Amino acid sequence: MERVVLPNACKNFEEDLVLYYYGECDPAEQGRVREHLAACASCRGFLGDLRRWLPRIAQAAPLAPAFWENYYRETMAKLERRGEEKQPWWRFGFALRPMWMVPAFGTVGVMLLVVGLLFGKGNLSSFMQRPAANIPREILADENQLQFFESMDLLEALSRLEKQDDSNGETTTLQPSRAPAQQEMV
Amino acid sequence: MADRHELRDEELASLCQQGERQCFEILVRRYMEKAFHIAFNFTRDVESAKDLSQEAFLRAFANIKQFDGRSTFYTWFYRIVVNLCLDHARRQNRVAWESLDGAGDETSEQKQWADSTFLPEEEAIAGEAKRRADRTLEAMPNKQRTAFLLRNHQGLSIADIARVMKTTEGTVRVYLHRAVAALRQSLMEFV
Repeated sequence: MERVVLPNACKNFEEDLVLYYYGECDPAEQGRVREHLAACASCRGFLGDLRRWLPRIAQAAPLAPAFWENYYRETMAKLERRGEEKQPWWRFGFALRPMWMVPAFGTVGVMLLVVGLLFGKGNLSSFMQRPAANIPREILADENQLQFFESMDLLEALSRLEKQDDSNGETTTLQPSRAPAQQEMV
Repeated sequence: MADRHELRDEELASLCQQGERQCFEILVRRYMEKAFHIAFNFTRDVESAKDLSQEAFLRAFANIKQFDGRSTFYTWFYRIVVNLCLDHARRQNRVAWESLDGAGDETSEQKQWADSTFLPEEEAIAGEAKRRADRTLEAMPNKQRTAFLLRNHQGLSIADIARVMKTTEGTVRVYLHRAVAALRQSLMEFV
């Protein structure tokens, strides 16, 4: 190894020389660069440097064929795995079974559903009938009316308690609406 | 299958889009070395380079329907590889640019590679030159390094590099010139 100081290229030609080295100049530029090179030793030296060092930097040693075979196999295995991961679970389930089993599974499923409906609920007709249809209309109270009666019940209970307070002067605890009625009965 | 090997990349990609996976396997064989070497130039680590380049193939396969044939297959594929490498470099925050024959913790695979890179009489020169070049490349901005590696190591044209990097040819020329100037500077006193 020896150390030498190499000349620089002319500033206005340096970029062109890099492109010239890589064969990226258009014909007009190429002609201009060649003309300059014929006259300029510094630029010839610069171009010589590029030719000498740039291929060496890029040099990659060939890897053993076994490495590439292994690389290829691994890539294919990864590709396979990635493909399986992206499949929906149900497709994976079906992929394990022959195609004729799909309608068979469907039929069995429908039969199980029918049997369940027939025996699980007594019979199918009772399950299908709406229970509300058998209840007399008088019994089916409107929900709003029920709430109204409940609030009236509460008011009545409160007024009874107030009366008891007035007459006895004793403290009483708030009880459900049925309690005073029961007391009266006793 | 034998005649499939004669098909152009774009034809193979088109067949892949129609569900012929075997055609993708041909593309893998065709580009695995290039993909690996790009990734290695970024990571300087055999295992990482293998993982990154294989991931690039998986992504290319998963997105093969997005390849519209407006660019060549390899510019489309190189873009995937380069983007993965740049993401990896960002994640790592730095790129391990230890020289192959200078690293203390290198794997036997790396060592084998380093040992076989140069002829014995060139080894000393090549070792020192590579160390200097690697240090210079390490210090380079990512885009400059990418442009240089794609041109110098992969042989892509400036037009293709511009497509891969989604920039203009003028910008690539500037990146390339700056990268070469920096490298030459680092090797200037060394013959």
